[in-house]
Amino acid sequence: MPKLRRLLPLLALALASPALAQPATDPVDPAPTAADWSAIARLPDLSGTWSPDIVDQNAQIKTNPTPWKPEIQKQVDHMDAEEKAGRPKGLLIDCLPHGSPTFILITHNAIEFLLSPGRVTILGESDGNRLRRIYTDGRPMPEDPDPSFHGYSVGHWDGDTLVVETKAILPQVYLAVSEAVGIPNNGDMVIRERIHLTDADTLVFELEIDAPKILTTTWKTKRIYHRKRQRSHEILEGVCRQGDFHDATDTWGNAIFEPVYQQDGNVLPSPPAESEAE
Amino acid sequence: MTLNAEPPKMTHHRRQIAAALLMLAAPLGPLAAHHSFAMFDPTKPMTFEATVKSLQWTAPHAILWVQAGPVGKYQAGLWSLELPTSPGNLSKMGWSRTVLKPGDKVVVDINPIRDGRRAGQFKKARIVATGKVLGIGAIPGTQPPK
Repeated sequence: MPKLRRLLPLLALALASPALAQPATDPVDPAPTAADWSAIARLPDLSGTWSPDIVDQNAQIKTNPTPWKPEIQKQVDHMDAEEKAGRPKGLLIDCLPHGSPTFILITHNAIEFLLSPGRVTILGESDGNRLRRIYTDGRPMPEDPDPSFHGYSVGHWDGDTLVVETKAILPQVYLAVSEAVGIPNNGDMVIRERIHLTDADTLVFELEIDAPKILTTTWKTKRIYHRKRQRSHEILEGVCRQGDFHDATDTWGNAIFEPVYQQDGNVLPSPPAESEAE
Repeated sequence: MTLNAEPPKMTHHRRQIAAALLMLAAPLGPLAAHHSFAMFDPTKPMTFEATVKSLQWTAPHAILWVQAGPVGKYQAGLWSLELPTSPGNLSKMGWSRTVLKPGDKVVVDINPIRDGRRAGQFKKARIVATGKVLGIGAIPGTQPPK
């Protein structure tokens, strides 16, 4: 019973504490044992990298549309029209994280899973920022976690399915259906996921998204990921803001990054200096 | 070597060297994550009463925004007081995003920014209503255990 074993020290601490009336504010996690690590071998094998099924992403958007509220739909229609007219809104050009659930919904890059005692970590390409920490150590959802881009995720294994609930997502985080169409969730979003293999090399995220400020009802959707084991598919470091710079050399001869001139997210030639423009 | 010895038109890297020397000349305490705090003047510490507008709980540095009346040569207005580190590290020191609330009256200790704007390096705040003092220490866990 690894879960009970992990909770026992907390119980003992609570009973021994002179401040019994006060809740434990800083629980201490015990060091994982060999048995804890062995238990991971009995979980589904999620090794390798997982590439999103982009054909299915697009099909999902068309056949299972987001239940936007009518007033939100107007904004979405406008964004759609602008994109079709060649004026896409760059939702993510500021290089802030996609956040949840947009990361899983629209990424075009591979993800990978790290399983460790009491934790599942999902890492994506394009920034260390694209990562999710899912606590599977039996802890409850904290009462008022700090809002963050990917929210606070608590999960457990239901047989071979990882069941995850995520709350405390920043209100500015987009619920996006593409990199040009998305609406800030505006607060109180809750995501429930069931993540499981459907065959040896296919993984599905079944998502239920409650975003009461922008959706009329719970949006149930899914995303499919395909396993790759080739080294050519290993995830490379991708730093979103690296594109804001080009390679240069300073007067000392050091290799440096020099900002490139941009406008509306597009890298452009430098504008003429004021003296030249006159 | 002093800044006054620099020629009037410093190149970018000469300014960087000057800033580095300035930092060496004026140690800035135990914390200066993400960027140097050399733009703040530790030789002119200030203490004044103010009202919290917000605690901006963001990485890489949290910022305390306070509204204050006239202070010395400064006109009344909004001050940005930069904390030395991120919410992640501040949490380890016992801070939280709700430890100071809009409207709280506080007495703040700061090092002002050198260019005369209403900005400074946060050092500590005493909440007038409760007497509680919020300070900044070393980042817990970043030192060898005693």
